[in-house]
Amino acid sequence: MIDPASGPFLFDTSAESWLARNDHPEIHRWMRAYLSRHLVNVAAVTVLERIRGYALLWRRARGDARERIEAMRVAYLALPRRVWTLDEASAVVASEIMALLPQPPTPERRTHRLAESRRERLVRWRFDAMIAATSLVAGTPLVHNNAGDFEAIRGAIERWPQRFPKLGPLELIRCGSLV
Amino acid sequence: MRRLSPERRKRRTTLTLPMDALRQAEQIARDRRVNLSSVVSEVIAEGLRTHTAAARSGQIMNSYRRAFTGLTPEETMILDGIVLAPSASRKR
Repeated sequence: MIDPASGPFLFDTSAESWLARNDHPEIHRWMRAYLSRHLVNVAAVTVLERIRGYALLWRRARGDARERIEAMRVAYLALPRRVWTLDEASAVVASEIMALLPQPPTPERRTHRLAESRRERLVRWRFDAMIAATSLVAGTPLVHNNAGDFEAIRGAIERWPQRFPKLGPLELIRCGSLV
Repeated sequence: MRRLSPERRKRRTTLTLPMDALRQAEQIARDRRVNLSSVVSEVIAEGLRTHTAAARSGQIMNSYRRAFTGLTPEETMILDGIVLAPSASRKR
């Protein structure tokens, strides 16, 4: 169990929505306890991924569904949160991660009728590198729901510490280990 | 005379408190060499802060739910940055 008071934490894109949607009473209690002490911290890249997602859903929707998606987008943007921008230091670290791990460590995602393209998978992998870099530079543990990608980044940082002077290790917290 | 802000103004009152809590507060006051009013004020302020924070966190959670509920698993994936499109085999 992670003490909510030991935050603030940086929330990965999927971790943020997982925590918001989760109905498990213990997760709910943990999130309320966290929010009573800290803001949700996210990387600017998470806002980018999220708003691009709302925009894509809006484009695919029609009529009332569009209004619903727009209301959700407005609700998301109105949430109190701290957004960590991608500054020079984060950009440098993200570039090093991308150079060390040019290819995504896990395959494209797919459902029974839809699939992620290789190009989109590479984009998402680079976004993950930027989120990890933001966490590393901010010195804020990263709560994630994507062990495959972020553990690979942590491993690379541990193998090549000289490329990340005065930084690291990348502190990772899996969503499932919060409670 | 300088007027105090509302949060710093004080008013005398009479409280009925549980004996045990009162004894503990008096002990803290003796240990810290402050008066009982200071300790009780501090405890009330902390309690109010916790109460306000809990109410605030509930509001934020509700807002979060509004931003994410009612989506299919595929829509949630898209919102999480996983851009999905009809797979090539389906297009054909």
